[in-house]
Amino acid sequence: MTPILTVEGITAGYGRVTVLNDMSLEAGRHGNVGFFGPNGHGKTTLLRVVSGLLRPKAGRIVFDGEDITGKSARAIVGAGLIHVPQGNRIFPDLTIADCMSLGAYSARARPHEAENREKVVALFPKIAERWRQRVRTLSGGERQMVSIGTALMSHPRLLILDEPTLGLAPRIKDELCASVLDISKGGVPLIVVEQDIEFLLELCRQLYLINHGTVATEIKPGESIAHAEIMSMYFGQHQDH
Amino acid sequence: MGALAEILFGGLFQGSLYAMMAVGLALVWTTIGVFNFSHGVFMMLGAYFAWQLVEVGLHPAAAFPLAVLATAGVGWLLQAAVVRPLIGRANLVLVVVITTLAAGSLIENGVLEIWGPRSKQLPPLVDGNTMIGSIGVSLHQIAIIVVTPLILGALWMFLTRTRLGLALRAVAQNEDASQLVGLNVTALYGLAFAIAAGLACLAGIFMGGYRFMSPVMGADPLLKALIVVVFGGISSISGPIFAAYLIGFFEAACSYYFGLYWTPALLFAVLILTLMVRPEGIFSSRGRGLA
Repeated sequence: MTPILTVEGITAGYGRVTVLNDMSLEAGRHGNVGFFGPNGHGKTTLLRVVSGLLRPKAGRIVFDGEDITGKSARAIVGAGLIHVPQGNRIFPDLTIADCMSLGAYSARARPHEAENREKVVALFPKIAERWRQRVRTLSGGERQMVSIGTALMSHPRLLILDEPTLGLAPRIKDELCASVLDISKGGVPLIVVEQDIEFLLELCRQLYLINHGTVATEIKPGESIAHAEIMSMYFGQHQDH
Repeated sequence: MGALAEILFGGLFQGSLYAMMAVGLALVWTTIGVFNFSHGVFMMLGAYFAWQLVEVGLHPAAAFPLAVLATAGVGWLLQAAVVRPLIGRANLVLVVVITTLAAGSLIENGVLEIWGPRSKQLPPLVDGNTMIGSIGVSLHQIAIIVVTPLILGALWMFLTRTRLGLALRAVAQNEDASQLVGLNVTALYGLAFAIAAGLACLAGIFMGGYRFMSPVMGADPLLKALIVVVFGGISSISGPIFAAYLIGFFEAACSYYFGLYWTPALLFAVLILTLMVRPEGIFSSRGRGLA
């Protein structure tokens, strides 16, 4: 299987601050990919570069054989790479129904609008009950469902989720994790940024630890990894407990 | 009875003009987050376009829509020239105030150069006069009172019922998320400016039909539109519409009871009071968002 996404030597940042430093990785050769690592070390910046929100200073991004470096976010959505940003701040004053129509805005997604809407409704019956409600009136978990639902409406060929369970109550989080697993089983390859390693291990066969704006460690399929080891990666030394 | 009729009529008429102007300002603010200080100039330029087209022999029914389209085009170009290149700057709001003022001033002087300082007048939308109760009014004014809600209603339908309108509202709320669903944000910015300019042109045509036109005719309506949006709140487009009519009635009542001389002072007193009590505007919630 060829990788669906290749990141080659990406350097990027904001203004004079460099966040990503010559980062390279491959995703999709072995199914889903998980990113983890401490906050503020470039995970979200990497996703912003990949989806065209931020132009890299150097490097190349290839999506499914096509060089998408420096292309507009719109073109990248058009190619089927869909990014669900962190923090479910989508469109506070639009209704869920509006968000779903927006999700199907691109020419690629529009013919599949009805079929994708059925999928979203089946996946998230909770938001289907509140179809005409404004997003700002929803709970954090429901808003996350709307974010992911909107992305599914875009008919993704690769779906990127940035910390989908951030700040959610445990029960809601479990529900959402189950839904993400369902999406994956439905055949959409995923790239997921998560702090919950257990969830990532369940979902992905390949993990990257991102630290100091570069790939610190790659965990390949088949390589087992102990919890303590991951903790040591986070904190830089072995812990005794 | 006569007083009430006069105030009602005057308020509806002025309110229509203000609403037409203020909605454009609000549209640009909510989608792009900038104040367009060349909005009054769009109004003036639109009226001159219309005058020129009528002058070369076009029927107003053809000339007026053409002028609206031409002004919308100018709005798009102006946005591309002095707004779009600046987007992303930290002090965007302030910089765009300066660039739009500068562009407006250039256009104003350009119009003075091309069409000269002599006052001009447009044909009214409808010729003739009539009596409502005891007050004499022109059919042009009545046409404005009738047409304005129809146009604003159409704008409302466009924003709330069409996919493109939905896209405009989305950009107003979250630019990053809009890009991530594949919206062409720059084109939508251009569209917001073009619609605003088109509406300003209509206001110019309305005004040119009952008052003399001059290259500075847009300055006062811009000021009034600013008062309206501050008063009504700029976070939506319905707020300014209601505020426009309220201010229209307020002005009509003031000029009836206290005279035209006191009206601006009273208006500003109300504005200052509004800013003290509800700085976000009386019909508004905090934050941006269309409709």
